[in-house]
Amino acid sequence: MKKDNKIFTFLRDNSVPIMFVIICAVCIPVSGFSYSYLLNEIVTRMGRNIFLILALLIPIMSGMGLNFGMTLGAMAGEIALILVSDWQIWGIPGVVLAMILSIPISILLGAFCGKILNMAKGREMITSYIISFFMNGIYQLVVLYMMGSIIPIKHFSVKLPRGYGIRNTVSLLNMRQCLDNLLAVRVGGVKIPVLTFMIIGVLCVFIVWFRKTKLGQDMRAVGQDMNVARDAGINVERTRIISIVMSTVLAGFGMVIYLQNMGNIATYSSHSQIGMFCIAALLVGGASVDKASIGNVFLGVILFHTMFIVAPKAGAQITGDSMIGEYFRVFVSYAVITVALIMYETKKRKHKSAAAQQLQAAQNEEAAK
Amino acid sequence: MKNRRRFFFRLGAIALLVAIAACMMVIGRGHTVYIDNKSLEYEGETYAPYYRATVYVNGERVSKLQPKERASATNIGQSFSMTLELIKEKGGETETVDIAIKLPYSMDGIIVNIPGYMAGLPQDAWMSEFVSTPTAAEMQDEEIPTEEEDVLAGAEF
Repeated sequence: MKKDNKIFTFLRDNSVPIMFVIICAVCIPVSGFSYSYLLNEIVTRMGRNIFLILALLIPIMSGMGLNFGMTLGAMAGEIALILVSDWQIWGIPGVVLAMILSIPISILLGAFCGKILNMAKGREMITSYIISFFMNGIYQLVVLYMMGSIIPIKHFSVKLPRGYGIRNTVSLLNMRQCLDNLLAVRVGGVKIPVLTFMIIGVLCVFIVWFRKTKLGQDMRAVGQDMNVARDAGINVERTRIISIVMSTVLAGFGMVIYLQNMGNIATYSSHSQIGMFCIAALLVGGASVDKASIGNVFLGVILFHTMFIVAPKAGAQITGDSMIGEYFRVFVSYAVITVALIMYETKKRKHKSAAAQQLQAAQNEEAAK
Repeated sequence: MKNRRRFFFRLGAIALLVAIAACMMVIGRGHTVYIDNKSLEYEGETYAPYYRATVYVNGERVSKLQPKERASATNIGQSFSMTLELIKEKGGETETVDIAIKLPYSMDGIIVNIPGYMAGLPQDAWMSEFVSTPTAAEMQDEEIPTEEEDVLAGAEF
């Protein structure tokens, strides 16, 4: 009986990853992709996305949920890359410079986002989601009207022919996969971007170390109970702002890594869905709104991207229309977020009612005495 | 005391980042070098192109140029070196020359004229800026995508 309970609990706690394992197990053979191709694609996408997804861990630690505001960091990374591209700084120096340039923009946007989230405690996710829409408007204003007119942009390959504004696509050909190709190793036809993985490894070590620092412990305390943390002398508001700023800065770095792998910037759309897909990938890995680990990030990227790769082909094989697969993967991304949010809310209410029942029982006991 | 230490630590961190950024701007500046095997007129004298000029950059052959032809190579940083295998006339001997050029920071595209360089002319004679003119397609206005059109924006994720 106890064993049955254990299995049930395991299945319930890992329902999303298990569901994705089943989807992948069905879709992989149907898609007809060779295993070496699949492996190559997954490794490439791991290098491209893991850094971005790791940026989500710190706000979860401080109880701010899934940071949809990471889009702000992505915008900062894009602005930095547009400038670097116009200045013609190529290769790894270009990537490093873009990362450095993104820092002040990310800090500014992160601090703004953190301040607003402090005013909307308990509603951080929806607030950060709406902030990202609001900021998208500001981003478009900057990129479409201020770049070229107020912010100097020289190259016609970057600037729109009318003299101001940035083109739909900015080529990063001169820094394309420069991180991925340096120190890359080929194992059985699979290209492993060692340097990118080393950078990801450094961030993982940083996160593990950071959790043990005073600030990390403060964040965990704030995440568990803000009132208790405040009573313990922790500056809750400041801690929360720092966690969002850190997440935004890391998202900026992540976006630079992501775009150097892609080799071009879709100026007006690269950032728009990035938060959604990163969050979906993290949730697929078994994370929840209030708990996520580095392991969830890796598992999530592998499962989510396997689904992303095989779904269109599998859709085409099954229905004869690849668009079905395209829509399926987008639908799944939104669905997994919805399910995670419902599960989180249900769990929270369950805990609340259990606590209320306990309190009631204690009060009854007291009254009986 | 603690505040002052924190302030100096922050200042140091900012200074370090600015220094790294400045370094990156110098060492990462990309240039496209156009190598011309074309005749050059300078102070009333004409410098004829080589019968054949083979250009090697970083040990790789970039191009084998005949008269009036141009090759191009990309370079990161301001030091550019190449090896030329030159044949003056048909049936003539091959001359191998290693060339190191300092590229001006402000120029994106730089034209290097081989006959002028080999004749030992001053730099402004054999080096000039390449100014590219946008093509008709590049000059066409683009439509900026709207949010509504972006249903599958993450398909490339």
